[in-house]
Amino acid sequence: MNNTKILINGIIKENPVLILLLGLCPALAVSTQAENAIGMGAATTFVLVCSNITISLLRKVIPDKVRIPCYIVLVAGFVTLVQIVVEAYAYTLYQALGIFLPLITVNCIVFGRAEIFASKNRVFSSFIDAIGMGAGFTLALLIIASIREIFGSGTWFGMEIPILIDNNIPIFTLAPGGFVVFGLLVAAVNKFSKTKARKDFGCKGCPQAAVCGKGDIK
Amino acid sequence: MSFEGLIIIMVSAAIVNNLVLIQFLGICPFLGVSKDMKSATGMGLAVLFVMFFATLVTWPIQMFLLEPNGLGYLQTIVFVLIIAALVQFIEIVLKRYIPALHVSLGVYLPLMTTNCALFAVTLMNVQKGYSLIESVVNSVGAGLGFLLAMTLFSAIRKHIENSDPPECFKGAPLTLIAAAILSISFFGFSGVIENLFG
Amino acid sequence: MDTIFIAIFSVTSIGIACAVLLCIASKVMYVKVDERVAAIQGCLPGSNCGACGYPGCNGYAEALITDLEVKTNLCTPGGSMVVEELSKIMGVEGGIISKKLAVIHCLGDCEVQQMKMDYTGIKTCYAATEVFGGQGACTYGCLGYGDCKIACPSDAICIENNLAKINSNCTGCGLCVKACPNKIITIEENFNAPVVMCQNHEKGGAVRKKCSKGCIACTKCVRECPVTAITMEDSLAVIDPEKCNNCGHCIEICMTKCIKAVV
Repeated sequence: MNNTKILINGIIKENPVLILLLGLCPALAVSTQAENAIGMGAATTFVLVCSNITISLLRKVIPDKVRIPCYIVLVAGFVTLVQIVVEAYAYTLYQALGIFLPLITVNCIVFGRAEIFASKNRVFSSFIDAIGMGAGFTLALLIIASIREIFGSGTWFGMEIPILIDNNIPIFTLAPGGFVVFGLLVAAVNKFSKTKARKDFGCKGCPQAAVCGKGDIK
Repeated sequence: MSFEGLIIIMVSAAIVNNLVLIQFLGICPFLGVSKDMKSATGMGLAVLFVMFFATLVTWPIQMFLLEPNGLGYLQTIVFVLIIAALVQFIEIVLKRYIPALHVSLGVYLPLMTTNCALFAVTLMNVQKGYSLIESVVNSVGAGLGFLLAMTLFSAIRKHIENSDPPECFKGAPLTLIAAAILSISFFGFSGVIENLFG
Repeated sequence: MDTIFIAIFSVTSIGIACAVLLCIASKVMYVKVDERVAAIQGCLPGSNCGACGYPGCNGYAEALITDLEVKTNLCTPGGSMVVEELSKIMGVEGGIISKKLAVIHCLGDCEVQQMKMDYTGIKTCYAATEVFGGQGACTYGCLGYGDCKIACPSDAICIENNLAKINSNCTGCGLCVKACPNKIITIEENFNAPVVMCQNHEKGGAVRKKCSKGCIACTKCVRECPVTAITMEDSLAVIDPEKCNNCGHCIEICMTKCIKAVV
């Protein structure tokens, strides 16, 4: 597989959020404002790139039996780094993301790519894969956040939108709005694209199936 | 902390600020393991169980080890490490001493290592500055809330499976929209806390 | 420099402490797992159908190990291959596995059965039975929404003309029997007798009005059976496989052609 293909794959064909339905917690929780979505996307992409590169470099060193704990600690390390940087240079973002910043550690996407891709591929491919997946994640987050922000608070990236600002629908920014927007978006993807979203939630297709080693829960 | 205060923390964690439906934590298991009621309750119980012990372990480590040494920034890495080890430990202990519980919860235990609900609750306990008892109560409440959401949703999903929606809504989209409706109903509890004790 | 040192030291020591604790715990609380369990699980089909009578393939594997009385030929979906392998692992004689097949006791597809209403509700058999017993006139027969098809782990049931049909993929696991709300599916062994393909217990005239392929309780088969293996119970012919010599006479003479051979 050549590198452009890997990149496109991550953004469109195997979009982690809209097609693979992974990493939904942050995707739904921080997507109330487009700005936060970009911030979250960037933070996740950074962690993804770092972890993919490191794991790809260390793939022959890490013994197979303890690879999962190793990945966990590595990812947690990078997340801490991001946390400190964001806290220092973008404090408003730090407060907006809140608990979901440290939670990148347990994001399925980061883990899944480490297990599925980085542990088997060369450094440069892993880097490209991380960029692709990160971009795909950011893109999906941006779409969800745009819809929710425009209808929920009548603004986009903080810019006021003439009519909607006076007629906003606050439920879009609350939890139910997140579920609905995401559900409709997945339905739209199903309708208009050739690649169908994962039909169902469950262990089949979950990258963590390998992590937990018991991928047979219904 | 008075008894009333503890009750308020418990109710708030379980219902008003329900982990899954209000705070978007633990969505993956909520959508993934809710296909039938048996596995949903199994998963919920496992989360409740591990959450209790994780709080008991992480809280003292934060308070007596990290904070006095100015190592608050190591929280993420240390907590993940501790929770991963704890889950393994619980699995070993259950297998040895309570095999019946291991049979019913064992499948879900490895999933706990990367469960964001579990991780988030331990972090929140520290962020909110709860004491040990308050932390434990908050964790148990959050775990109960998760169990409640899982059980309710698995019952709803049984009916979704029998429905006949447009082709593109089949599977995930319809499940998400059902989750939205359940979430709206949980918003109905939002005024409960202020008026819980008169 | 000190801060870095303290940080590294504490994370390392926590890591080591956890590792040591886990090592000790796994040694002290070691549970001996019979290695044959894994081997047995390896050769079972893994579809957890429950045909063996144990909760899933895992349950059967453990039962085999713990109870020596448990036979190795209980896995019908696996067939004789699995029996052989299991017997090899357990070191016992295999025994013969009897071939089993599911039989749907209904011939009432949409061409032969009258409809009493146009049902537009939830498209499952179970839901349909709750609404006046489904859209077909006969409330004993196949509803045709395929609850059994969904339950089938081996893709052996297809729905044709609103009637479930079993094909050659059937392993006789019996999951469809539990799924059918009208209880018209049975598991047949040995195949040494024909089966009555109707479950309607109403009087002949009533059946006639509803379905042209139902048992109308005319007792012709009862009278003509050379070995008197057929009796009429509650307006439905019942064939006793013990007495039946499988001559096939009843199949030929049945007025509504609702007696069939299994294979």
